[in-house]
Amino acid sequence: MGPEEARAYLLVEGRFREILRKWGYKEVRTSTLDYFDIIRGGAGEGFTDSIFKVQDYDGRLLSLRGEVTTQIARMLASKAKDEGRLCYITNCIRYLESRNLSLREYWQAGAELIGGERISADAEAVALALEMLDSVGIRASVDLGSMGVIRKLMERYGIRDYKGLAGAIASKSIDGLRKVTSDSEALEAFTLLMTKRGGAELIERISDEAGCLKEECEYFRSLYRALEAYGCSSRVFVDLSTIREMDYYNDLVFEIFTPGMGLPIGGGGRYDAMMKGFGIDTTATGFALSIDLCIKALGGADWGKNNDMLRVYYQDGHLEKAIALVRSMRGKGKCCTLDAYRGERSGILVGERTFILESGEEYGI
Amino acid sequence: MGSDRQGRIIFALPNKGRMRDPALRLLESAGIRWLGEERAYLSKTTDPDIDILSVRAADIPVYVYYGIADLGITGRDIVAETGLEVYELADLRFGSCDLVVAVSGESGIKSPLEIPHGSKVATEFPHITKAYFDELGIQVETITLKGAVEIAPRLGLATAIVDISSTGATLEKNRLAAIGKVMSSSARLICNKISYKTKYDKVEAITRKLKELSP
Repeated sequence: MGPEEARAYLLVEGRFREILRKWGYKEVRTSTLDYFDIIRGGAGEGFTDSIFKVQDYDGRLLSLRGEVTTQIARMLASKAKDEGRLCYITNCIRYLESRNLSLREYWQAGAELIGGERISADAEAVALALEMLDSVGIRASVDLGSMGVIRKLMERYGIRDYKGLAGAIASKSIDGLRKVTSDSEALEAFTLLMTKRGGAELIERISDEAGCLKEECEYFRSLYRALEAYGCSSRVFVDLSTIREMDYYNDLVFEIFTPGMGLPIGGGGRYDAMMKGFGIDTTATGFALSIDLCIKALGGADWGKNNDMLRVYYQDGHLEKAIALVRSMRGKGKCCTLDAYRGERSGILVGERTFILESGEEYGI
Repeated sequence: MGSDRQGRIIFALPNKGRMRDPALRLLESAGIRWLGEERAYLSKTTDPDIDILSVRAADIPVYVYYGIADLGITGRDIVAETGLEVYELADLRFGSCDLVVAVSGESGIKSPLEIPHGSKVATEFPHITKAYFDELGIQVETITLKGAVEIAPRLGLATAIVDISSTGATLEKNRLAAIGKVMSSSARLICNKISYKTKYDKVEAITRKLKELSP
């Protein structure tokens, strides 16, 4: 990443950091290496297939940071027991087939809300993600899914093959669905779930069909009211074919997208079950945004240049005088560089006298 | 990015092969007539909101996955081989074929389970092939070819092949016998996951029409 690109990242990260601070999230840094067993326990087999593994000196398997949520959950179990809101901006590394993504290292900004009340916490996660994106000028939308709805429907229709069902739902494939169930009522309910997209009323339609989702209807209605209070409900849709790759989500899941980008720029959800797996009886919800995709979505944005940079040059025998000048300038908050003079035409030249190269005028600070 | 323009749809179709003409005919019956010239990769249609991108059938899931094209028509076998996450909105019911395991008629092998461990299997579908034999519990070495897979057994390159067969004529001509079906395939309407959300009304309207018109 060259300086121009790095500057774009810093600007986006800076805005994200500012919003996260305003919402009361404390930034943490997680380790680059972690015990593979712990990450596998949290994120699940499918995801952990794609992370880089290395061996420790004693033969134990370590993995490079491929995602942060599991690490934060573990941190809460040991070091940060009383923290409710944590955030991170960091790089992650995963083995991805070059066809899917050209980069194996990618940058994420994310937030985790631990211990909050279900509706208020889920609404906060969605609204915060949208506000972070708004802050850099990305007008995004969110699709909500629900692992809870899928689980209840599986129970209702006696479907056991979660992997097959999730694959069919995630690709809206009716063929795939038929492989998992031949029950006509189940086919009807899941077809409705896979092919419709709308507001909270969609859950009610599926609930009417299946007769088992009363609690979920109430949850989605309340969630929408909270999102309305945040002023973002018009950008939030229900699409129950939204399924995330990580195994740890057990209830609400969501994906964030913006027109023109072929891939979601972020996503998240609720992962109470993983917290319990780490021995913490609490609730948790969170999300991550891809900084790389945000930069891409902003395309030709003008990230500006460091225009306030002054270049100071010295002639032979005047280095000490030039050092005194740049020290004094930097002390006053100015940004400047110091180099030997090689015939440059712009900047400040320190010699017998100190003057501006462009105009020849005397320079004084 | 090609499909940025709000409300406009880029539709990826195979630029040649057995699926191109039926795909063009299906679109035409839906009122979307191709106005392009042969070899032009991006062409207008009679629907001002829809452009057609003509690319290799095998690459269509890639263009759709990245959102360069919003919609695409390609074989189910091809979508499965790339393993990319795209929505499969409809079975368009043309271009039907089976992906089969075939061996030389003289080999005496009657079932995929009789293929010896360590055999070489030539195919244009290495991912599907590996998953299929993994499931059977037979370790094979897959050899990826880009065409003319059916000659591999005769030339001694492979014991078996995994290849598409619609009538069985090609297999017969090469004295091969199909001994197992890996999957059935036909043309699918696929959609980029984000386009489905951001261009929902248009995508839904096209999907509905194509589903109605599919035989």
